[in-house]
Amino acid sequence: MTGGFLSNEDRMLGDAFLKDGYVIRAVEDRAALDRIQARVAELAASQLGLDPPNDPKAFLDGIHTHVAPDKLNAFRLAMIAGINGETWFRRAYYGLAEKALASLVGNELAMQRRANLSIQLPGDESSLLPAHTDTWSGDSPFEAVVWLPLVDCRATKSMFILPPAANAKAAAKLADYGTSGVEALYRDFESETRFLSVDYGQFLLFDQNLIHGNRVNAEKTTRWTFNCRFKGLFTPYADKRLGEFFEPITMRPTTRLGLAYKLPDGFEE
Amino acid sequence: MASRSDPARSGYRGYIGSRPVLGNRTPQAVQNLVIRDYCQRNGLPYLLAAAEYTMPACYMMLNEVLAELPRLEGVVCYTLFMMPEATERRHEVYRRVIEARASLHTALEGQVLRSADDVGRIEDIWLVQRALARAPKTL
Repeated sequence: MTGGFLSNEDRMLGDAFLKDGYVIRAVEDRAALDRIQARVAELAASQLGLDPPNDPKAFLDGIHTHVAPDKLNAFRLAMIAGINGETWFRRAYYGLAEKALASLVGNELAMQRRANLSIQLPGDESSLLPAHTDTWSGDSPFEAVVWLPLVDCRATKSMFILPPAANAKAAAKLADYGTSGVEALYRDFESETRFLSVDYGQFLLFDQNLIHGNRVNAEKTTRWTFNCRFKGLFTPYADKRLGEFFEPITMRPTTRLGLAYKLPDGFEE
Repeated sequence: MASRSDPARSGYRGYIGSRPVLGNRTPQAVQNLVIRDYCQRNGLPYLLAAAEYTMPACYMMLNEVLAELPRLEGVVCYTLFMMPEATERRHEVYRRVIEARASLHTALEGQVLRSADDVGRIEDIWLVQRALARAPKTL
């Protein structure tokens, strides 16, 4: 990490992020997390015509008893629309990882406009996300993802990631898999992947330039995880543009002054 | 085309891109909207789209979708001009769709490939478009 200007705390977090490609930390605002979880559970219950649950975590864990795989995507889209429609949601989401984002990404940020939600039922093969990097699909390499579980996510109920050293080897060989596909790539590097254990109450902040994805959820309960991208406001954008996909959230006063500034004119030779 | 009553196959997989086509960029959200609208108007059950990678000449996601064809009724891509630039690779796509007894739809142009009879019509559009790209733009 760069020189001696960073605090010890920032340097340690940054070193861990660069070494592993991710950090897992306790959320910085537990009340905000509980509010998000409770609201999602309410939305789910409402969508299913059920009473609001007393135990949101248990209800979400067991959602596969209420939703069939062929109805899952419509259900998921309704959840995404519902929670993103809450005016407080994105500020609350940002607040869960605010300090970590400032440390690892910057203090002048753009945030994805709509957080995404993954719901993965046990044994369901229809909602798999094969090995990929977001950058390959049009995200900027300057983005990081805050991945937030609403239930405890471990083993195949969680996501896998390929750590930086193994990722570099895999990415260098990607074109060799042009015909055989990313599943073949996954199999060849499977032994080097890590399934990340992230419990409710924690967030995962990861480098989306690293190969990651999920497998069939072989656990007994349903995965519920949000993912939302953050980047430095003035770092380069790729296919996910400012305005369409991202919007500024923490523009600082000096930037505002600079953007509004006009040199005095009216001079003539 | 695969029969809707074939229980082993269901739905039409969307296929969108993350690099410019014919020099134009279309946001992925808009590509998805066009495909969803096409599916809705034509009564095709839509399956979440695969997004092609951004690296030039990379068709890994298209290959993934083609490998999935035995379980699908077909593919709906955003535009015909997302197909591989190389003629041989394009014909390989057509061959795999036809042999899988599936169909290939292009949402923007409203073209459908179901059999070898459709290849000539679709290739005519492709080849003329390629020639137009090299033609003078003003009279």
